[in-house]
Amino acid sequence: MATPSGTSVSNGVYVPSGIANSDVKPVITTTPLADFLMQLEDYTPTIPDAVTGYYLNRAGFEASDPRIIRLVSLAAQKFISDIANDALQHCKMKGTASGSSRNKTKDKKYTLTMEDLSPALSEYGINVKKPHYFT
Amino acid sequence: MRESRSGCGKATSSPAENYQLARRRTLQVVVSSLLTECGFESAEKATVESLTEMIQSYISEVGRCAKAYCEHTARITPTLSDAVVTLNEMGFNVDTLPGYAKRSQRMVITAPPVTNAPVIPKALIAGQKRTHPSHIPSHFPEFPDPHTYIKTPTFREPVSDYQVVREKAASQRRDVERALTRFMAKTGETQSLFKDDVTAFPLIAERPSSIPYLSALLPSELELQTLEETDSSEQDDQTDSENTPDDPGADKENSVLLAGGVVPSVKVSEENMIDNPYLRPVKKPKVRRKK
Repeated sequence: MATPSGTSVSNGVYVPSGIANSDVKPVITTTPLADFLMQLEDYTPTIPDAVTGYYLNRAGFEASDPRIIRLVSLAAQKFISDIANDALQHCKMKGTASGSSRNKTKDKKYTLTMEDLSPALSEYGINVKKPHYFT
Repeated sequence: MRESRSGCGKATSSPAENYQLARRRTLQVVVSSLLTECGFESAEKATVESLTEMIQSYISEVGRCAKAYCEHTARITPTLSDAVVTLNEMGFNVDTLPGYAKRSQRMVITAPPVTNAPVIPKALIAGQKRTHPSHIPSHFPEFPDPHTYIKTPTFREPVSDYQVVREKAASQRRDVERALTRFMAKTGETQSLFKDDVTAFPLIAERPSSIPYLSALLPSELELQTLEETDSSEQDDQTDSENTPDDPGADKENSVLLAGGVVPSVKVSEENMIDNPYLRPVKKPKVRRKK
């Protein structure tokens, strides 16, 4: 990937030289991700490689590079933590809606319940309906 | 991280299920650690279960989709691009991933790797399983026991070699002859070659007949049968010729010529046929007119 003279690659966005109009979208290379993959060798995600590898193998995905497994496990982690953060926002909103306490913030004991999780998931398009009891 | 548990009973599970459950529990621990990192103190069991199920199906879906993409481009080994395209398709912003990775490095990595040995069901193994051919990856399940798909016929193919068959036929014939002669010697009268030893080499005693030359003169049974058949067919011709006003003499001469020295038997059969009540002509009963 040789950079032509005149255009500097700052964040992996490569703009071909000679393009004046802005209709053409720049081609985004995967260089930052390739660099990130190198960094992944040191960083171990929370999900062990064996567990992610087991589930990927069951789906037919046989990874030649262990770093790809770490990438997938990291993506899954981020997915779950995004949902958890959204649920936390819902929980905080319900707590301080009435503006009860000003001196101290709401007690730091947050409990994740289905009432918080359901609207958080519905924003992602996942609709859950868990019954409280079974008859 | 406290979990509000409802009472759950443990059912007996096979090693395969234990293997799966161990990984599932690891995922649950991971989910719990992620929730703790977000700031939650506790969570409902239902929520943890939901999130565990979600993360498991997420990983499986990424694996399946990445494999599909890489096979779409006529490859078999997925690469980084396949994974990135898959994550994009699932609505995941890949650009935020490096930032997340750096941020979460603050978190304590709690989940230990699972050190379970793979499943070896030692019971009911018969024979050696076939190894995978080269085109099948090693993480696929093993082949079943060979007795499940190999068929062995319970009979042996009959030998069709000419020499062997011939030899078999000859030995069978010799055995049959020997057994039959022995049987006749043991059940009938015997003559012996040796004076002192009567039982060794017994010979079937012959029955002398009063007229020895009779067998030479009389035809054999097979010839008799054929002669009788020809006679019976000529008998029909003769009866027809008697009814029709034709030359019976010529027919009789013909029959004499054909039969040869069997003329007396022909006459005997003629008388037999007439005497035979089933061959006599039908006698109609006299119809008496009722007065």
